[in-house]
Amino acid sequence: MKVVTGVVGNDIHVVANRLIDLSLKARGYEVYNLGVNTHLEEFFDAVVETGAEVLMISSLNGEAEGWGREVKLLKSKYKNLDDVIMMIGGNLVVGSGNTEDIVARYRKYGFDLVCHQIDLNTGLDMLQSTIEERFPS
Amino acid sequence: MVSQAEKLLIDVGSTYFKVCTPTSIEQHFRDFNQDILDDLMSKCGDTISRFDKQDVHICSSANGGLSTLIIGITNSFSLKYATNIAFNSGINIIDTILFQNIEDYSVPSDLIDVVIVVGGVDSHSNLYSEKIFSYLDQLNYSNAVFVGSTQDSQSMRDNIENLVVLPNIIDDKLHIVEEHLKDYLTNLYQQDIEGKEEIKHLYEITSNQILSTPYVVNRALPHIETRVSVANPFILLDIGGATTDIHYSKDLVDENIVTENEYDRLVFKRLGVYKSRQSLILAAQSNEFVYELLLHLGVTENIYNEQTDKATKILMQLAIFLVLCKMSHYRQSYVNLRLLQINSIVLTGGITKVLSQDEVETIIAFFYRKILSSGHNPVAVMDSNYDIWTLGTKV
Repeated sequence: MKVVTGVVGNDIHVVANRLIDLSLKARGYEVYNLGVNTHLEEFFDAVVETGAEVLMISSLNGEAEGWGREVKLLKSKYKNLDDVIMMIGGNLVVGSGNTEDIVARYRKYGFDLVCHQIDLNTGLDMLQSTIEERFPS
Repeated sequence: MVSQAEKLLIDVGSTYFKVCTPTSIEQHFRDFNQDILDDLMSKCGDTISRFDKQDVHICSSANGGLSTLIIGITNSFSLKYATNIAFNSGINIIDTILFQNIEDYSVPSDLIDVVIVVGGVDSHSNLYSEKIFSYLDQLNYSNAVFVGSTQDSQSMRDNIENLVVLPNIIDDKLHIVEEHLKDYLTNLYQQDIEGKEEIKHLYEITSNQILSTPYVVNRALPHIETRVSVANPFILLDIGGATTDIHYSKDLVDENIVTENEYDRLVFKRLGVYKSRQSLILAAQSNEFVYELLLHLGVTENIYNEQTDKATKILMQLAIFLVLCKMSHYRQSYVNLRLLQINSIVLTGGITKVLSQDEVETIIAFFYRKILSSGHNPVAVMDSNYDIWTLGTKV
C-alpha cells in the first residue's frame, strides 16, 4: 500500500513529518514523503505519479485551515483520484476549537479521515480500518 | 606554428563569429552569402593557419538548438523535471502537455526535433492510454524518447515507432535523475550541429568535437570568479542574433530541484536582435511598459522600422528589459527568479560590443523601478573580452 505524505503550506515542522514517515514504514507502507512546505498541487501530483492509495497531509501550525478549503476544487481537476483515501492530521486550527466542529469542517473540505490533535498511532489505526473497508482483500 | 599549449578558440553564432588566440580576440559579422568556413578563412585565415587542427576548438549556437514537446502526467514532477533537463541540455521547449487533458491540446504544425514522454515512478504502471498514440500519429517529429516508468516501457515501445527508451527520470523518492536524458539530448543537439553541412566543413580546421555554445558557457559559470568580478548571486544574459540565453544560480529559484548542477539555463528562442528581430519587436509591442521605456530612451516606436546602429542598440536594450520581465514575477513562466536578491547581471555575447555599461545600467534601473517597484540596482558586468566563453572552452 502506497502513501503520499508531507506537511502542507508554509509549515516547517519536520520532526512530526519524520515521525509519521517512520511510523508508516514500520507498519509496512510504501511511503513517498514530500517533506515540509508542500503545496497542495504537489500532493495530488505525487499521488498521480506514484499511484498511491492514501494521501496523508499533516499540519502543525494551523495552515491547513486555509489550504483545506482548496482541496475539493483542486481535486476536481484530476481525473483519477476518486478512490484515494484522503487523510489529514495534526493541529488543524489556529488557537483552539471544538473537535467535532473541526472534524465536520474538514470532512466537508473532502477529507475521509480527520485527526485533530490525536495520537499518531491512534490515527494510523483509523487509517488501517478505513483501508480494510475501502480495499477489502 | 605556435607552441603546442596554445589554443585557438572559435565561436560561430547566428550573426557573429569570434576568434580567440592567446593574445587577441577578433569578432566579425557573418557574411550570409558565404559558407561559414569560407567566411571564416577569408576574414581570419592568417590566424587560423597558424594553429594545428588539434589546437583549434570550435563551438556553435548557429541554429538556436533543437525543439521539443514534452508529454507528462503532472506539472509538479514529470513535466517539471523533463523541462528542466531539456533546458539544461540546450533544447527549446515548444510545449508541455498534461496527458490527462491531451485531447484539449492542438497539434503543433512545425516539425518537432524530439518528443519526450515521461511519467510515474517505476512501481507504477499503465499511466498512458491509446490517446497518446493517436496524438503522436498526428504529430510531425524526428525523435521520440520515453523516460517514464519502466513497467510501461514495453507497451510504449510496441506502439511508438523508433522510440528510444531510457531509465526513468523520477526515482523512487520522487527525485529527479538527470543524467541519462541529459546525455541523450546533449548528444542529439551535438549531432544536429555536426549534421549541418556548413558546420561539417569546419572539421577541415579542427580535429576536436564541435560543442554547443550554451553548454560551453554553462560549464564556465562555477569558475566565473577567476575571470570576471561578480558578486553572487548573479544571472548571465547572452543576447545573440537569434536567441537569448539566461543562465542563473539555482539559489534564485523558489522551487528548487535538487541536481548536481549549480546553474540552470533557459533559452528564449525567438528573442534576438538580427534573425529574431521581428519577433523581438512583436514581444516589445505587446509589453505595456515598453512605450514608457522608449520615451525614457528618447526614441519613439518608429525606431522599429529603422536599420541603423541606433536601432540595433535600442533593440538590444529592449531585449534586456524583455528577458528580465520574462524571468520576473511580473510574468508567470517556467521559472521566476528572485531578482531582488541578485547582486550582478553579467552580459556576454555580441551585446557587449555594442552597448556601453551606462546603456545597460539604465535599462536595469528602469526594470527594477517600474516592474519590481524597487530601488535595488544590481551591478552590470560586461564580459567584453569573452572571458567566460574562453574559460568555458578551457575547463
